Amino acid sequence: MASLQGFVDQRVLLILQDGRAIVGVMAGFDQKSNVVLSDSKERVYSVEEGVEEIPLGLYLVKGDQIVLIGELDEAADQAVDLSAIRAEPLPPIRY
Amino acid sequence: MLPLSLLNAAQNKPMLVELKNGETFNGHLVNCDNFMNITLREVYQTNAEGDKFWKLKECYIRGSTIKYLRVPDTLLDVVKEEQNRAREASRNARGGGAGSRGGTSTHATHISFLTLLVFYRARDAAARWARCSTRWSYSGKRSWSRHIIVDHC
Repeated sequence: MASLQGFVDQRVLLILQDGRAIVGVMAGFDQKSNVVLSDSKERVYSVEEGVEEIPLGLYLVKGDQIVLIGELDEAADQAVDLSAIRAEPLPPIRY
Repeated sequence: MLPLSLLNAAQNKPMLVELKNGETFNGHLVNCDNFMNITLREVYQTNAEGDKFWKLKECYIRGSTIKYLRVPDTLLDVVKEEQNRAREASRNARGGGAGSRGGTSTHATHISFLTLLVFYRARDAAARWARCSTRWSYSGKRSWSRHIIVDHC
């Protein structure tokens, strides 16, 4: 049985259907994969400058918008210098 | 913690709602349901490009059109506290401070032991009374009369 229970209280990366990447601590979830993220930040990628982190605070994301949820290795994540990263932002999903 | 309990606790609190089409709504939550349908009051609506604004007295948003909601950070502690209190209350309702199943059954054994003790005392007293050869009975006019009975034991 696939479950999000193992992610609770862990720092996770969320990718949404519009291409946004959000990191935050998963505070809760439900049957529809709606997710509560606390202390969340959006990571905005661009080719011109480094990754910009925009603080978002407490977020409730609807499950039908979520593409991916991944556990973050906090030590590895903090070792990365985000300002040095250049990357194309993810395009939104198109139907 | 369930997302819907967070939403329920957000009543009368300010929030930002973004729809799947990118429009955003800033307002205070009036009501919500299990489909995440919500009503907001004193709303500022922004179009997807973020260059047009509307002010609405009240609006209703169908849950299925919502992408995400942003709520005040303080709500997390409020909901956690509420859950702790609810857990505590249900534990107390099940009986005893110990709250474990073992504690409850010990309690039950204790009661039945007491009941048995009372029962045996009463039975012994009745037996003694039956074996007694003298009976007193009230014959009226403030006088007691003594009867000698034959013990058949």
